[in-house]
Amino acid sequence: MDIQFKGEHLLPGQIGQFFIVLSFGAALLSCISYYFATTEDAGKTDSFWQKLGRISYFVNAVAIIGIGTCLFYLIYKHFFEYHYAWAYTSRSLPIYYILSAFWNGQEGGFLLWLFWQAVLGIVLIFRSKSWERPVMTIIALSQVMLASMVLGVEIFGQRIGSSPFLLLRQSMEAPIFSNPDYLSFIKDGQGMVPSLQNYWMIIHPPTLFLGFAAMVVPFAYAVAGLWQKKYKEWISQAIPYALFACMILGTGVVMGSFWAYESLNFGGFWAWDPVENASIFPWIVLVAGLHVMIVFKNSGHSYFTATFLVLLSNVLTWYSSFLNRSGILGETSVHSFTDLGMFWQLITGIMLFLVLSVVLLVRRYKELPITKKDEETYSREFWMFVGSVFLGLSCFHMLVVTSVPVWNEMFKTKMAPPSNIKEHYNVIQASFAFVIAVLTGIAQFLKYKKTDVTRFFITTGSYLLMAAALTALFAYLSGLYKLNFVFVLLMWGSLYAVIANGKVLIDAIKGKFKLAGSAVAHIGFGLLLLGAVISAGTQSVISVNNTGEAYSAEFAKEENPRENITVYRNQPIKMGDYMVTYLGDSISSPNHFFKINYKRVDAAGKVTEEFTLKPKVQVSKGSLAASPDTRHYLFSDIYTHITLTNAITPVEAGSESAEAAHDADNDDKNYDAPIAHEVKAGDTIKYRDGYIVLKALNKETKVQNIPLTDSDVAIGADLEIVSNGNKYSARPVYMIKNGNVFDFARKVDDAGLKLRFSKVIPEHKTVEIVVFQQPESKKKFVVMKAIQFPYINLFWGGSIIMVIGFFMSILRRKKELKVV
Amino acid sequence: MKKSSIFGLVVIAIAIAVIISVYANSSTYGSFNDATKTTSELHIVGHLNKAKELYFDATKDANYFSFYMKDNKGEERKVVFTGTKPEDFERSEQLVLTGTMVGNEFHASAILMKCPSKYQQGELKTTELKAKSASI
Repeated sequence: MDIQFKGEHLLPGQIGQFFIVLSFGAALLSCISYYFATTEDAGKTDSFWQKLGRISYFVNAVAIIGIGTCLFYLIYKHFFEYHYAWAYTSRSLPIYYILSAFWNGQEGGFLLWLFWQAVLGIVLIFRSKSWERPVMTIIALSQVMLASMVLGVEIFGQRIGSSPFLLLRQSMEAPIFSNPDYLSFIKDGQGMVPSLQNYWMIIHPPTLFLGFAAMVVPFAYAVAGLWQKKYKEWISQAIPYALFACMILGTGVVMGSFWAYESLNFGGFWAWDPVENASIFPWIVLVAGLHVMIVFKNSGHSYFTATFLVLLSNVLTWYSSFLNRSGILGETSVHSFTDLGMFWQLITGIMLFLVLSVVLLVRRYKELPITKKDEETYSREFWMFVGSVFLGLSCFHMLVVTSVPVWNEMFKTKMAPPSNIKEHYNVIQASFAFVIAVLTGIAQFLKYKKTDVTRFFITTGSYLLMAAALTALFAYLSGLYKLNFVFVLLMWGSLYAVIANGKVLIDAIKGKFKLAGSAVAHIGFGLLLLGAVISAGTQSVISVNNTGEAYSAEFAKEENPRENITVYRNQPIKMGDYMVTYLGDSISSPNHFFKINYKRVDAAGKVTEEFTLKPKVQVSKGSLAASPDTRHYLFSDIYTHITLTNAITPVEAGSESAEAAHDADNDDKNYDAPIAHEVKAGDTIKYRDGYIVLKALNKETKVQNIPLTDSDVAIGADLEIVSNGNKYSARPVYMIKNGNVFDFARKVDDAGLKLRFSKVIPEHKTVEIVVFQQPESKKKFVVMKAIQFPYINLFWGGSIIMVIGFFMSILRRKKELKVV
Repeated sequence: MKKSSIFGLVVIAIAIAVIISVYANSSTYGSFNDATKTTSELHIVGHLNKAKELYFDATKDANYFSFYMKDNKGEERKVVFTGTKPEDFERSEQLVLTGTMVGNEFHASAILMKCPSKYQQGELKTTELKAKSASI
């Protein structure tokens, strides 16, 4: 029997679902129409099929905007009957995060990808002229594949895709859904995971997906070229699009890296996590492909490699999507991704593009313009080719390691990734990067076809020597020489790349401006490598814990890196060159900021530098997520990250184990055994963290709204507490009322003290002050980790310069291009 | 021989070298029992024994964390990790440890934990909801 559910808003979901089906159907029609426009109407200027293809592509784009609008509407309206709205948003989520909740789920990611691909397709309809029909066939095909990922329709008992318009009650089984009024129990959504509530969440995914979507354009041109036997022509058409794809995807990846560095606790800018690696496979391969395309354009060599790499780049885009979304990385990645049950569908996506590429290459192989002539050894084309192959090898290595779970699945093995995986990647990838960096310089000094050998050797040799001298200096200063020799080599290579391309840039400004784009991009690449090798190689944990408490004899024997330090509130501790103090907290839900003060003190005891960092911990539904804060200098960064704290109260953390902390009887339990001191005015009491001075005893007239009569006595003790250089004051009170003795203790929470004025001893003319001090474990503390990243700005600066270089190259290639 | 053929051979050689180095470097997934027999680092998949003590006291040593894990063969060992207790450790569903056996303890150099809800929230907390709907 069907249940009539109350309060559900089914209409927006149904409209959305209609748009999904419409976008799928329109894309399919567009693909078929363009196919017939290419084959049946070849040579005709006025093609019915082309018109149909265009119209259906526009319908597809409109439908995608419709899907987006519906999805946004139900997120914005907090319709928690939809799984998507329930899982990623809540009523308290600010509007800009509601916008980014759109791509929080995997379906949203696909929608973003669809949207960008629709936009790129429309650009191509207007700009690609005679290439429109074959190229758009492929773009529309890709659009069909993507749309099927969000279809959410069952065909022959097999669910195709996962729709963002799935209802909550359809997405999971729970007894509550047998209640027609279930919605009244679901007051709020799960909300966005705190660590995603960050401005990078708004900008990073759209950029990344634009990059992924752009990968299909050069691929479509390559397929069109092979299909239409326009073997040579497609290459110069595709170069600007390939540059665009590399620029955007590169920007997206670096944004992710910056996000991880700035506000996630990955402890660096690149963690070699499988998900990160997967996102740069297509980038590396297309960058390699781009170079070989330019080689072919200028010399007629390396046709097959260029085509192969461009085709491969898009296949890898789908492969990386498969790795990230199929859940196969489960045991090797820190990013936990749920399997939406689309394992085989994602594989179909890869196979579609792979089979298409292979079939075309095999069928057209004999006709391909492959030169029989050998390249000149001293020619730019040869060394650009070599460099691109090394880029490919670097990607190959990353692919082999990252795909270990895939090999296990395929061959039923039980291989695990290398146990010291970062070191493994660093050493091997640094070797490849060294070769590539050196070649970026060498190839620039050579000319296409033939070069004057003697002059080449003299210039290259002198620049290599110059770079070597600088490397010796830098490696010594930064301490890099202590590490694996490969890193010194990489430093040499990247310095050489910067210097050599700097020379090319100067020449370019003087006259040959055409080369400026590549020179700038290569300088950026060199700086990026330099920054990466120095900061990753010589980053140092400054929060070294020297307490060295041993737990077992065996444990103490090992030299374990003790990278976390415990800092008690208001108790300065020395950490490296700094005195560090945990000053206090500030809370603005869901963020709990910790004020960590850093002071650099010189030998004379003078404070030469002082700053306060505010790393935060985000609290949500009883789980905590820490975000670091970083002090940026031009040449290094100090990164501070809270690993643990007891300062977050259970109430704030939403846990049910909140104790009745202020129960007076139990309060003394929070302190060490009290110590009584017999003192008179002016005396000093010493305690663990400092001392207390009894300034004076004063007669009180009124104690907390208790009226005093003439026979009553109330005395206040003026106490001054000095703890770790901070002064506090407190005034406990002693009172005799109606013959009974009372005393009013005073707490100094910042110093972890409770003070009682418990007795007056007339015979000695003294009083008794009882000092309760909190044991170390009850005092508020944070456990933190601080890392110094030297020269990290070279990495970010290099990335930006590289993107600028790509942009300059796009402008140049666009000018050169004649679209027919 | 053509230069490109020589280069092709070099590339193939490097590719093979890469595969061999990855294979040689790769460790294996195993159990605690396997770990006692070897000195090299192993990956062990298992789950936390939530009934036993998780020892971590930041006031004594913020870099010492110990707990008990059952591997997939059901064998349980004490695990020592030089570092802070990871956030939400109690909520982990699955743990992947990297490390070696030292005496009777497994010393982990890395812990990878699978939490159900770090980035994706896919589970409905049915327990609290059940109680409310039961009366209807």
